[in-house]
Amino acid sequence: MLYALMGLGLSLITGVLNIPNFAHGALFAIGAYFLVSVVGILGNFWLGLLVAPIGVALLGLAIEWVGIRRLYSAGHDYQLLFTFGLALILNELIIVIWGPVGISHLPPALLRGGVDLGFTFYPKYRLFVMLMAGLLVVATWLFLEKTRYGAIMRAGIENKEMVSLLGIDIHKLFTVAFALGAYLAGIAGALTAPIRGLSPGMGVDMLGIAFVVVALGGLGNLLGAIAAGLLIGIAQAVVAAYWTEASTAVIFAVMAVVLLVRPQGLFGIR
Amino acid sequence: MRAWLLLLAAICLLPFVVRHAIASEIWIFAIFGLGLNLLLGYTGLLSFGQATFFGSAAYVAGYLLKYFGVGIFTALAAGIGIGAVSALLVGYLCVQRSGLYFIMLTFALNQLFYFIAYQWTSVTGGEDGMPGIPRPALFGIDLRDPLRYYILVSALFLVALWLMKRIVESPLGKILQAIRENELRAEAVGYHVPRFKLLAFVIGGAFSGAAGVLYAMLFGIVPLEAIGFVFSGNVVFATLIGGSGSLYGPIIGSFVFIWLSESMSVVWARWPLLLGVAFVIVVLFFRGGVVEAWSRIWRFSKRTT
Repeated sequence: MLYALMGLGLSLITGVLNIPNFAHGALFAIGAYFLVSVVGILGNFWLGLLVAPIGVALLGLAIEWVGIRRLYSAGHDYQLLFTFGLALILNELIIVIWGPVGISHLPPALLRGGVDLGFTFYPKYRLFVMLMAGLLVVATWLFLEKTRYGAIMRAGIENKEMVSLLGIDIHKLFTVAFALGAYLAGIAGALTAPIRGLSPGMGVDMLGIAFVVVALGGLGNLLGAIAAGLLIGIAQAVVAAYWTEASTAVIFAVMAVVLLVRPQGLFGIR
Repeated sequence: MRAWLLLLAAICLLPFVVRHAIASEIWIFAIFGLGLNLLLGYTGLLSFGQATFFGSAAYVAGYLLKYFGVGIFTALAAGIGIGAVSALLVGYLCVQRSGLYFIMLTFALNQLFYFIAYQWTSVTGGEDGMPGIPRPALFGIDLRDPLRYYILVSALFLVALWLMKRIVESPLGKILQAIRENELRAEAVGYHVPRFKLLAFVIGGAFSGAAGVLYAMLFGIVPLEAIGFVFSGNVVFATLIGGSGSLYGPIIGSFVFIWLSESMSVVWARWPLLLGVAFVIVVLFFRGGVVEAWSRIWRFSKRTT
């Protein structure tokens, strides 16, 4: 489910803005670190979960305003270099601010311990994350499908010239899409923090996975991103149960095999 | 001709200016950049996974050197072969896509190789890297001396540059440039575009492989970073600041990049931060590389005086 969140956010950004966002993983990591800091200051996990992703969204807003805005006409090579440089900066800032050593973070007291599901024993917090991520995916989906602005955003993926010809401020649309994608990355990071702990490398690891999800789901295909995220998550969990070392490599292997059979991705049309 | 004389002068002067290891690294990185530039500059393919070929070749050649005691040319041949084969595999999956997809796929496959190297600790040493790679003698000449190794590296660099010049000026090079300019038209004229893209990929991979082997022998170790995506990003950066699409662009870029990173890494352990800032500044203000930046500064200084 977390992969679906990441993939959804990235698919939105790549689909609407048509840029390779190599900073997406860094935004994810920043979300996790923001959560830890906010919880440290306010002492309340729920407030942290509310505030941290908004912080990441604001950061995304700033990034779009200052940099990406100027690069829409620049070609993918420079956009890539910019977001890649940004990822380096954010990653190093994490090390400077929070230190190079990983941090572990406990879930809130309410969600510690596990639930007996009859056939298996499952940690409460993981159930909560699945629920939250599921709700967020559904909420994003409803926003895109049922609201007017969501419809404009989907139209922006299909045909940008047409949307701007219809008198809609396309640059505002880009900004909103980037902030929304950043928000989804941030909340995914915040939710991950109590499961896997935090380390400066977490962003890069997630970035690769997010790209795989988008490649499998089809660029700008939001439903595809959700499905691919679930598929990858399940594949990884199954392999991890039998052969732990290979659980990360298997994600990329799955992608390679799928692309051999279906070069346009699982749900891609183009 | 003038460019070659300039290069020869640079090769002769460089060891007096910087440490021999850094001088060697510059030419190795330039070979790496030449390989990428065939894709980025001449074919219009932005590959963000060149470290895949660089690292794979470095690991395989390092393994052969360490455990089988092979000679330099065997190691080089093995590395070039591995670079080409891995590029064939990656390229086969990637060339059917274009634009953002292509970039993301090269990156994701780079991550695949990275995680294999990361987990396969018995061979690659995982996070610690693969240390203890020897530098065998060549025709009885002991190459452990840094200056002698530098001479070998720069000679091989000149060979690589000559080869690349031949390639881009050959009919094949012209076809690749036609693909860069207009893919549909190249297809319409009768060229099988994916096959030529794949060929460019394999050649680029072979160059990356050669660079990887020289790198492993230079430092005596294959660090895990050699196959990581930051390495892929660095070579893209170097090629872009030098100016892609010109044969000598990646060479200038390699100079600037290695010099930049070496001087920054001495100043601060968190130098990738500065590197990231450099990326951002270049992209926002100096698009078009060193050559354009130079002409801008030139114009500016003329205006002020």
